[in-house]
Amino acid sequence: MLTRGERERYDRQIMIGEIGTEGQEKLKRSCLAIAGAGGLGSPIAFYLTAAGIGKLRIIDHDEVTLSNLNRQILHWEEDIGRKKVDSAKWKLEKLNSTIQIEAIAETINETNASALFEGCDAILDAMDNLPTRYVLNRCSIEKGIPFIHGAVYGFEGRVMTVLPGKSACLRCLYRGTLPPEKFPVIGVVPAVIGCIQATEAIKYLLGIGTLLTNRFLLYDGLELTFNEFAVERNPDCDHCGSIPSKE
Amino acid sequence: MGVKVHIHTTHRQFTNGAEVVEVEGQTVGECLEHLIHQYPAMEKALFAKKGKLLNHVEVYLNHASAYPDELLKPVKDGDEIHLVLMLAGG
Repeated sequence: MLTRGERERYDRQIMIGEIGTEGQEKLKRSCLAIAGAGGLGSPIAFYLTAAGIGKLRIIDHDEVTLSNLNRQILHWEEDIGRKKVDSAKWKLEKLNSTIQIEAIAETINETNASALFEGCDAILDAMDNLPTRYVLNRCSIEKGIPFIHGAVYGFEGRVMTVLPGKSACLRCLYRGTLPPEKFPVIGVVPAVIGCIQATEAIKYLLGIGTLLTNRFLLYDGLELTFNEFAVERNPDCDHCGSIPSKE
Repeated sequence: MGVKVHIHTTHRQFTNGAEVVEVEGQTVGECLEHLIHQYPAMEKALFAKKGKLLNHVEVYLNHASAYPDELLKPVKDGDEIHLVLMLAGG
């Protein structure tokens, strides 16, 4: 049940036919994990907090630095040196005190991933490197929970939603890996991509619209174009190939 | 009428700024060979060694992933190839 305050807070989105009171209650009962509290994690966390997701679990081992501030809008000058998850939790609770923010300052790896994402309805990818994205991808497949992939570089970004056993996974798309690197980026790009990821999460939780499954969206901020490419499950995929189809 | 190859923004420095290059070939691999014949600097931008694409290069044929075995995929006149680079930042 929504409280009187929640009805007022979410009034404009409850007015959307596809959401309504029932949908808002679903969002309130949901738990989403945001893997990373940086460039992508910032818009994702802000908008999911504003939308009233009942519980957000934010995981990031890093601390805020000055060079983060061109894009990581969760963090301000006064936060330099703080754990990103602590900085994020403080801001998000100021924005919406009716939801629960879990701040976990850990490095995601093969060993702890399953426990970190236990009880979550979906994982949102806000990482800054490909190896950890593969850890998230594999974890989502093993746990059978959706993985909403996003990545940026320069003026470019991409998004794809993975429904384990139903749609192509990240590994079906990629040939190999790349070592972590310092990448160029300007904040408006993760802003666009993170908002699309948050939109996908809300749609998934509510069971509405058409998800970005078996296709990925490529955003080019310089040309201001969105291109869509079809992707199929790879039966030989070393992450999801052995998972029976849930079609 | 051949096959159109859409060049990624960061690769256009190797194609004299061309966004789309017309090529010929029976497979994706042959089309990329023809691309490199026209613009030799594209070889290092696409291939780790002969017959092996760089890890971060993705090939899409008619807006669908050509992975795996991209280079062997058959093409016909009017087809379009997009060369896309993997992104890993966040």
